[in-house]
This record gives sequence, C-alpha cells and structure tokens, in this order.
Amino acid sequence: MKANLLGKKIAFYVLIIVVWQGIDSADIWPDNIFPSPIEVGEDLLFGLSDGSLLYGIGTSMWRLIIGLAIAIGGGMLLGIFMARVETVNQTIGSLVLGLQSIPSVAWVPLAILWFGLTDSGIIFVTAIGAIFAVTINTYTGVKNIDPSFIEAARNMGAKGSQLVTTILIPAAFPYMITGFKQGWAFAWRGVIGAELLFSFLGLGFLLNVGRQLNDVSQVIAMMLVIMGIGILIDGFVFKKLEDKVMTKWGLR
Amino acid sequence: MGKIEAKNIVKYFQHDGKPLKAIGGVNLTVADGEFVCIVGPSGCGKSTFLRILAGLEKPDDGEILLDGKKLVNTGPDRIMVFQEGALFPWLTVEDNVEYGLKVAGIPEKERHDISKRYLDMMQLSQFANSYTYQLSTGMKQRVAIARALVMDPDVLLMDEPFAALDSQTRDLLLVEMQMIWQKTKKTIIFVTHNVPEAAVLGSRVAVFSHRPSVVKKSLDIDYKRPRVAEDENLGQFEKQILSALRHQGPK
Ligand SMILES: Nc1ncnc2c1ncn2[C@@H]1O[C@H](COP(=O)(O)OP(=O)(O)OP(=O)(O)O)[C@@H](O)[C@H]1O
Ligand SMILES: [Mg+2]
Repeated sequence: MKANLLGKKIAFYVLIIVVWQGIDSADIWPDNIFPSPIEVGEDLLFGLSDGSLLYGIGTSMWRLIIGLAIAIGGGMLLGIFMARVETVNQTIGSLVLGLQSIPSVAWVPLAILWFGLTDSGIIFVTAIGAIFAVTINTYTGVKNIDPSFIEAARNMGAKGSQLVTTILIPAAFPYMITGFKQGWAFAWRGVIGAELLFSFLGLGFLLNVGRQLNDVSQVIAMMLVIMGIGILIDGFVFKKLEDKVMTKWGLR
Repeated sequence: MGKIEAKNIVKYFQHDGKPLKAIGGVNLTVADGEFVCIVGPSGCGKSTFLRILAGLEKPDDGEILLDGKKLVNTGPDRIMVFQEGALFPWLTVEDNVEYGLKVAGIPEKERHDISKRYLDMMQLSQFANSYTYQLSTGMKQRVAIARALVMDPDVLLMDEPFAALDSQTRDLLLVEMQMIWQKTKKTIIFVTHNVPEAAVLGSRVAVFSHRPSVVKKSLDIDYKRPRVAEDENLGQFEKQILSALRHQGPK
C-alpha cells in the first residue's frame, strides 16, 4: 500500500518533468522565457557547487527559526493570558483579531523604517506574521481545557506558573500544534516575502536576483527550493510532532 | 487528623437572571476517620456541596472548618475524586498518580516509591506506563483514587466515582473502597445516587433534601464489614434511607 502510494507520486512528478521537457522541445516560447527542466537543474547544481544556494538556504532558515521561535513563545504567552484573564481578552484580544488580518509583507515598510535593511527587520516581519496564528490557537486550546483538569490540579496544590506548565500548556497542546503549523506556514511566507523586498540575502533575495538578471531558470529553481523546504518541514517536523502528540493523547 | 465541619452552608446560583438557592443551610460534621455517604435527589446540590468542601467553590454563607480551623482555599488536605476521574490524558498512569507529589516538590525516588505502593494496592502496576485512553473505565476510576490517596489527604471527597461503572466492577470497587478506608483510616465523604452503595460504604448516611437542600436525615449504619451489596441485612438500612428520600415534602 505504502509502496504503491510512493510509486504513484514518483510517476506523477516524472510525468510533470516529461511534459515540461516536451513543451520546451516544441519551442513555443524562447528559452529565456520558458527554460527546460535541465536548465533549471543545472542552475540548482551550480548554486550548490558555488555554495550560494546553501548559504541562501542557511540564511533564510536561520531567520525563519528565530522569527518562529519568537512567534511561538510570544504567541503562547499572549494566548494563555487572553484565555485566563478576561480583561486581556476584551482589550488585546480584539486587537489580535485585527492584526491577524494584515498580510505579513504589509509589515515590511514599517520594519524597514524601524530596523533598516537588517536581519532584525526580516525577523520582525517573520515573527509578526506568525505570532497571531499561534496566539489564537493557544487561546482556543486553553479555553477548551476540561475545567475539571484545572480544578483537580489546583486541588492537588498547583498554582501560578506551575499550573501553566503542568496543565495549561500540555492540555492545550493539540490546539497549539495547529497554531505552530499555521504559524510556520505564515513565517515561511513572511521570511521569503521580506527577503524579496529587503533584497538582503536569503532565498527571497536569490529569487529577486534571478528576476533582475532576467534569469527565468534561476527564478524557477529558487521557487522549487522554497517549495521543497516547505514540504520537508511540513512533512518531517510538524507532521511528526502532530502524530506523536495525537497518538500519546489517544486522539487517533 | 481530619474532622471536617460544614456550618450553615448556603449557595446561590444565577438561574434565568434570578438567584436560585441551591443549598439552603447545610450543617454536617464528619468525625476524623468517619465514612459518610451523601445521598439526595438529583440537582439538590450534592456536587456543589462537595466542591465547597474542597474549596473549589465559595459558599455565599457559612463556613468550613477542618480540625477547627476555618478553610478558605482549595488544598491537598482535602482531595477530590471527580466523577469522570479528571485524569490527565497527556500523562502516563504513573505520572498521573505522582502529579500532586511532583507539585509538592517531592524527589523523584520517593515519589516513585509512594506511587508504586498505591499502584500495587489498586492492582495497576502492570499499567504504570499506559496512557489513560488505554484503560477501561473501572481502571481509570482506580487511577483517580490512587492519585487522591498518594496525597495522603486528611479528607477524601468523592463525587459519584462509581456512577459510570458496570455492576461487577462497581461491586469490586465497593469492597476495595472499604478495605482502603479500613487500612488508611481516612475521613471519607462520598456522594452517590445509589442507595445500596451508600448502605454498603457508609458508617453514616446523610440524606439531603430537595433544593434548597438541608440535611434531612442522618442515619448511622452499624453493621460489620466488609459489607457486600447482596447482604439482605442491609435492606433495613436501605429502606430507611429510601423513606427519608421519599418524604421530601413539596418541592
Ligand atoms: N455553575 C453553576 N451555575 C449555575 N447553576 C449551577 C451551577 N452548578 C450547579 N448549579 C445548579 O445548582 C443545583 C445543584 O447542582 P449540583 O450539581 O450540585 O447537584 P447534584 O446534587 O450534584 O445533582 P446530581 O445528583 O444530578 O449530580 C442545580 O440546580 C444546578 O442547576
Ligand atoms: Mg452531582
């Protein structure tokens, strides 16, 4: 069953490449507008061999990780406060919903004005794009905790930060993971978008360089890398984490 | 020690925007080491009363004394066993049982020894590393009881812990409960719907009236232990409880 599924997937991607190569061979569009898969592959190899691609990936990933860590830490804190303190929910809560509707690239101008063309600016855009998804899911998670869990814990003597770390966070974790997943997706879009506009190193920057050089195959190569990293992180980091938590909780 | 006194407990709830008197002045004194069962009609405020004893809810009037000291907050001197167990699904059986000890800052080794003793007592040692979804309802209930017992509370508060069980499992736990009580000498206050259950467990049964509830009757059950539900000699006690329940007067 599993081999069968893998076979289907491989066949599908091979088919795409074959069709792509076929269209290219038909010479409908000039090569500088519609490159062949081989040219794109060569660009990837070249990027790998001169280190620029790995450096770009490293830079983007580093910014992503810091931005996402800030978003997860801050989002959890904010979400827990919103869920447990009614005043915080009534005030900051409404603002969070509004802020969440701002696409992360819309923060770029502000980030440039505040931080200049720096890593901090890009990390700011990444974090702010992701934080509210984490906040809202954490809030929902904490609100949905079976009240008897909290009462039982208080009855056994837990209070304050102990209650937060031993009950609120683990009890709300299945929801929080959804927040992390959404947050990661927003953060990845945010970091690439910001790098495009900041034009300051990273994969988004390499993508933009491709455009400036009119190098379509470089542009496509970078898009493939961005997609590939997305699939890997989704499938290996978050899917695994989710599976683990769900199994442990007996939710599947 | 664990002498607990409820003095003139009154509790209101908001119902359709108007205050509804749920508990109308309950007085109940439970001596150290006594096993008291509370029975009463549905909705009369038994759970609420137990939650007030646990300090999870504030009474609108009256006070709770433990060994003569007025109680304000919840705390591990009175441990509640919830009807649905309220076990933490993200922890193993063992970690559930050790939760309160960990909160109290007891070192791992000692924690382990204590939890092992109670898991053995509840015949759960084999399942120490299982998660709660892997347990039957009866086993979950035993974990909940073990989790309460490790805290070595002065008073054990139990809210219909056996209500969701089939009769065989219940019969087993009824015997176990009596053994635990005789072994640990805890003060136990046990809420139940089930009259035979009250007669088997209680050294005394307190019958609550309809809302706003008061203690309608307090009945001593002087009878040898361990008792079993089939024992016909318990029938006379059951009859007295039932008649106290029936003579509630107008609602
Ligand atoms: N949080 C609450 N808000 C409003 N009303 C409540 C609340 N908790 C309990 N009540 C009301 O108080 C009364 C007593 O409830 P309680 O749960 O204590 O009854 P009970 O005796 O335990 O009933 P049962 O035997 O069905 O478990 C009920 O009328 C209920 O509707
Ligand atoms: Mg109840």
